[in-house]
Amino acid sequence: MSDPERTGRRRVRTRAGAAAAALALIAPMAACGTADEGGIPTINLYYAPEENFQQVVDRCNTEAEGRYRIAYRVLPRGADDQRVQMVRRLAAEDRGMDILGLDVTWTQEFAGAKWILEWTGEHRSEVEEGTLEGPLATARYEEKLYAAPKNTNVQLLWYRTDLVDTPPATWDEMIEQASRLKAEGKTHQVITMGAQYEGLVVLYNTLVASAGGRIIDEEANKAVMDEGAVRALEQLQRFATAGITDASFANAIEDPARLVFQSGGGAFQINWPYVYPALQEADPELAEKVRWARIPGVDAGTPSKVTIGGYNLAVSAYSEHPQESFEAAMCLRSAENQKFSAINDGVPPTIESVYDDPEMAQAYPMKDTILEQLQDAATRPRSPAYQNISTVTSAVLSPPSAIDPAATADELREAIQDALDSKGVLP
Amino acid sequence: MSVPTTPVAAEAAAEQTQDSTRKPATRRRGKAPLSEGKKAERRLGLLLCAPAALVMIAVTAYPILYSVWLSLQRYDLKFPDERQFVGLENYVTVLTNEYWWTAFGVTMLITVVTVAVELVLGMGLALIMHRTLVGRGIVRTAALIPYGIVTVVAAFSWRYAWTPGTGYLANLVGDGAPLTERASSLAIIMLAEIWKTTPFMALLLMSGLALVPDDLLKAASMDGASAWQRFTKVMLPVMKPAILVALLFRTLDAFRVFDNIYVLTAGGNETSSVSMLAYNNLIRGLNLGIGSTMSVLIFLTVAVIAFIFVKLFGTAAPGSSEEERR
Amino acid sequence: MAALDNTARAKWRWGLLDVVVVVFALTPVLWIASLSFKTPATLTDGNFIPREWTLENYRSIFATDQFVRALINSIGIALIATAIAVVLGAMAAYAISRLDFPGKKVLVGVSLLIAMFPQVSLVSPLFDIERRLGIFDTWPGLILPYITFALPLAIYTLSAFFKQIPWDLEKAAKMDGATQAQAFRRVIAPLAAPGIFTTAILVFIFCWNDFLFAISLTSTERSRTVPVALSFFTGESQFEDPTGAISAAAVVITVPIILFVLFFQRRIVSGLTSGAVKG
Repeated sequence: MSDPERTGRRRVRTRAGAAAAALALIAPMAACGTADEGGIPTINLYYAPEENFQQVVDRCNTEAEGRYRIAYRVLPRGADDQRVQMVRRLAAEDRGMDILGLDVTWTQEFAGAKWILEWTGEHRSEVEEGTLEGPLATARYEEKLYAAPKNTNVQLLWYRTDLVDTPPATWDEMIEQASRLKAEGKTHQVITMGAQYEGLVVLYNTLVASAGGRIIDEEANKAVMDEGAVRALEQLQRFATAGITDASFANAIEDPARLVFQSGGGAFQINWPYVYPALQEADPELAEKVRWARIPGVDAGTPSKVTIGGYNLAVSAYSEHPQESFEAAMCLRSAENQKFSAINDGVPPTIESVYDDPEMAQAYPMKDTILEQLQDAATRPRSPAYQNISTVTSAVLSPPSAIDPAATADELREAIQDALDSKGVLP
Repeated sequence: MSVPTTPVAAEAAAEQTQDSTRKPATRRRGKAPLSEGKKAERRLGLLLCAPAALVMIAVTAYPILYSVWLSLQRYDLKFPDERQFVGLENYVTVLTNEYWWTAFGVTMLITVVTVAVELVLGMGLALIMHRTLVGRGIVRTAALIPYGIVTVVAAFSWRYAWTPGTGYLANLVGDGAPLTERASSLAIIMLAEIWKTTPFMALLLMSGLALVPDDLLKAASMDGASAWQRFTKVMLPVMKPAILVALLFRTLDAFRVFDNIYVLTAGGNETSSVSMLAYNNLIRGLNLGIGSTMSVLIFLTVAVIAFIFVKLFGTAAPGSSEEERR
Repeated sequence: MAALDNTARAKWRWGLLDVVVVVFALTPVLWIASLSFKTPATLTDGNFIPREWTLENYRSIFATDQFVRALINSIGIALIATAIAVVLGAMAAYAISRLDFPGKKVLVGVSLLIAMFPQVSLVSPLFDIERRLGIFDTWPGLILPYITFALPLAIYTLSAFFKQIPWDLEKAAKMDGATQAQAFRRVIAPLAAPGIFTTAILVFIFCWNDFLFAISLTSTERSRTVPVALSFFTGESQFEDPTGAISAAAVVITVPIILFVLFFQRRIVSGLTSGAVKG
């Protein structure tokens, strides 16, 4: 054995030794981090990034008066990433999470998997009092309450007052108006999200609810796809093939859609309210010409039922401080804090009384339309298998221009039934 | 192989050849005891490999075995009570499913096209990086930057570039939105992949090029060989091991394409790859049984491809045959 | 005269090829850079060169120490993982390409097997193990998987290079009077350099840009690396993509790669010109 080889090995052995030593040093430190400090329980809040939410957390910590201390652990920006982070740790029965910020479509899934605790007694009645019914429905599973709605969200119809006199009351009317503008050679596009993702399911769900149909039954056992659902398919297909959508409709998600409307690429937009303050900042001149209205309905004379989004706060089943977590969660979503978040972070409240507050008027010029839609809201199918349903639905419906109402309805019914039974393969 | 330059060195070389002729004889007899030198060589070999082997096995043994075990079960994380052992049923479900084969086809297409194009472009790029007379440092660094950029960010920038209205490339292809049609979005995905990973090929090929002895090339050109002949008869054979590594690893990676598709089309218009399918079933559907089955199937496909490559390249593979040893 | 013309023409030809390569490689990168300098209002005007310039995006990513922390984590983890992977890989490659021992083919095969298994399935079990060992959300928690998944590439690449090295030169040099150390340093090391540095660059880039392991095996700033930090950037609201900030961050994190490559690219080719194989 030659020298360089021996020295080489010796060098590696010392390096390996150093690495092992480093490991031994760091390993115990890794176990800390989420431990309690000096006897005061730390409540770990896992929530999406919200710019001013830390101030709400601070406020609740002051109110807690030493009973507990909330630590805001930020999750990734994308909803899917947030879910993955939480699911992975819950599946491993991680005791380091206390309050979870759940998107409205995850509550049933987490409840079915027994990852979150039920809200009972006083906690339950406090949450249910004064909260809008739509968001509350998203927090229920099998008649029990599993989360406290923190904020909600609902899309609006935005239109250019210089191109459109009166906002359309139905989708067909909107198609007609847009076609007329197109014939006149003016900007005419209806901009909304149609890529193969959750947003497409939101759009379809709005149409189904507005047409009075159902995708799955109440008990979430059977795929229904009734007559209303089929009419919604027809409407979606009419919309996609009328020649009035933006060129990128079949690949558009929220932000690119906003950007297109913002640069004057359309006459109508169906998108979340966040687009308005963004528009005001980017192009105040254009913002002057933009107004909002309720999303069009499917049938003449019947107002639309719009799909709601938003976030609920749930308590992890593996939390070490469940009682304090319930309390902390209730503080975080109190009326006062919801108002703060609404004004500073642009997230609509779930407690009805907040909408009447005078401070809301300035930050939320569209609050009345929002409230109107919230009071008659539609939720996406509430089932633990929702992720499956969403995946197959968006795959079958994409691209919307290729929909053949009768055939697609059958395809969807079969696919959603498989998804509910957790059979087969997701696309 | 170098030519011994001194008589002493020539003797040493001769000794070496004697050694190698002696050894096969020993092995052929099989039962004969190993020489001390041979035993020491074995010990050294095992010792040198031990740390690497230990690390790799310690980290991946459990996860891989666990995945295979999961693929034999019906296990949906949302319904933990319904877990049961089902043998190969998951495999049947996946292999008879239309979504799987569509994704498989798309993945195969992307793999074959991108690897083929990258091999040619990569070779060209390697030649330029190696032999250019001006601005060597700049070219080499610039050529490697695409590989160094975070994939997701690059994918987003491509998405913006190809969306009409927001990007500079969309205007080059006429009116429609290229990302909303199947054929054009596949082309864009492949372009994004090629742009991103050609440097990987080029780097490996360039280092292979660096080992081609200059005198051999000079000798060949003095013998009247053209540039093309020099390339195919002198450079390529010496580069065979480097080409194998580049091709092998690039193919393995290409088959598992995910990021670019996820950002550019989210799998719409049937542009999903098998990795996206596995991800959807495993992470979104929380169906550990089906998701693990897909992973095992992906692994088996890739293993077959690797096997074919190694067989094709024969003795250029690492760890093979005594004939290569000097 | 003719010789001079030839060299000048050759230079022009190569120069032209250089330009083509640089344009092809850098145009999308410059596009990202231009996005990073655009104001939110002009983000989507489709122009390659920004009409309105701003440094706000760069300022915003350094406003908190979140990004800087992620940079430190990335640099440390990537450097350590690269160093260890190259050393372990070189040792194994040396053994594989020069020595004969039982289980050689098995090792080579198994390491390829590890490289081939889809990582998405491995993350959850790995997360489980790390949580139990207490190395979840730590530097070693990322370094170990990175080494593991970089080793197959390192071993294969280095084996391919070590095979090509004429090892007898070492003996010849010793015959000519050099000591073992001198022989190794002057003769073998320069020939091994191309392989080592190539491997180092590839492993470094792998560790630097990995997203899957980083997002699954970290949860706080303690060990979060840069690609993951990008997914934590917030826009003004839930749906607004912070495109400007992400582009700025992408530009910033490409700089270490550029430096790393610039530093090493000479050494990849310098090996052969150091005089070992002259006729």
